Amino acid sequence: MKHLTKALAFSLAVAAAFAACAAAATLAVGSSKLSAGNASVSACTSSLAATRNVSNAGNVTQVNVAGIPTACSGETLSVTLVGAGNAALGSASATVGSCGTACSATLTGFGTVSAASVKGYSFGLTGA
Amino acid sequence: MRFLRPTPRRIAVLVAATIGVGAGAAYAASLSVGSWHLWAGSQTLTKATCTVTGSTATTDTYVTQATPGGTNGNSGQIIVQPNSGSQDWGFVRFDLSGCGIPTTGGADSATLSLFLSATPGSNRTIAVTPVLSTWSNSLTWTAAQSLSYGSATTTFTTGTSGNVARTATVTADVDALIKSSSANFGWRLTDTGTGNHTTTFASSSDGTASHRPTLTINYEK
Repeated sequence: MKHLTKALAFSLAVAAAFAACAAAATLAVGSSKLSAGNASVSACTSSLAATRNVSNAGNVTQVNVAGIPTACSGETLSVTLVGAGNAALGSASATVGSCGTACSATLTGFGTVSAASVKGYSFGLTGA
Repeated sequence: MRFLRPTPRRIAVLVAATIGVGAGAAYAASLSVGSWHLWAGSQTLTKATCTVTGSTATTDTYVTQATPGGTNGNSGQIIVQPNSGSQDWGFVRFDLSGCGIPTTGGADSATLSLFLSATPGSNRTIAVTPVLSTWSNSLTWTAAQSLSYGSATTTFTTGTSGNVARTATVTADVDALIKSSSANFGWRLTDTGTGNHTTTFASSSDGTASHRPTLTINYEK
């Protein structure tokens, strides 16, 4: 029984060690706080810029993002209209289509947002 | 309890099974992490205002159906009249180059202001229609028939009081203009009604600077 006790203790220690590794990896996946700087995550671009169209009433009708690298083709682009105090005024997303030298995306469906209240854009690109 | 008796073989099997299960779980999680592309960024906009007015930044005229070859580019007035056979159409456009708005910018709002220099006989509705082809202040009624026009952007009413400014919102047109600076052809002004009703606005040649047509643009870049 002494050998059995030692063997069980050793097995439990090994199992605990691997379980800890697995739990850490699972936490990293589930937290959604990975950045481009993380060794295990890559990014298809380092910057984006947008323009927007307006209705005659001055509301945003669509946002246009041009110059997206071809490496981002097929990924999901999310754009948030940012107002004063970094408030999110409206969001939309679109899939970056396949393209030759540079991709572009047109996003609609931001709701009724006055262009005058938009202080900037926030971008997100995700994909496999 | 004989089956619990530890033997070197049983101990080896137990340890190997434990390592296998643990390593399998860790390996699967690592695969999941490495399979994603993620990027986040932002862009900050700069807001500003530009007001365009004056005789050098403004081109305006009106054309008269009754004298189809005549020009009125040097007149101090822009006359609009709906009467069939003797219509008058006004034209106005602004040079936005002095605003320094890049083509990547856009209008948050844009307001066209016109000064009613004479009291209208009745309240009139004036349509503001984008012109899609080039014209000069020597435009004639005949030449105006060959220009291209868009759909009316907006309308405004004159009211019945004179010597007041009337405004029209032209945000969408100016936003498009900013994005395509080569297509700046301004607007046509027409009376949407019928009958013999003359509406007179001050032009960029008016002697009083504050009465001249003005375009005020709140923009981002």
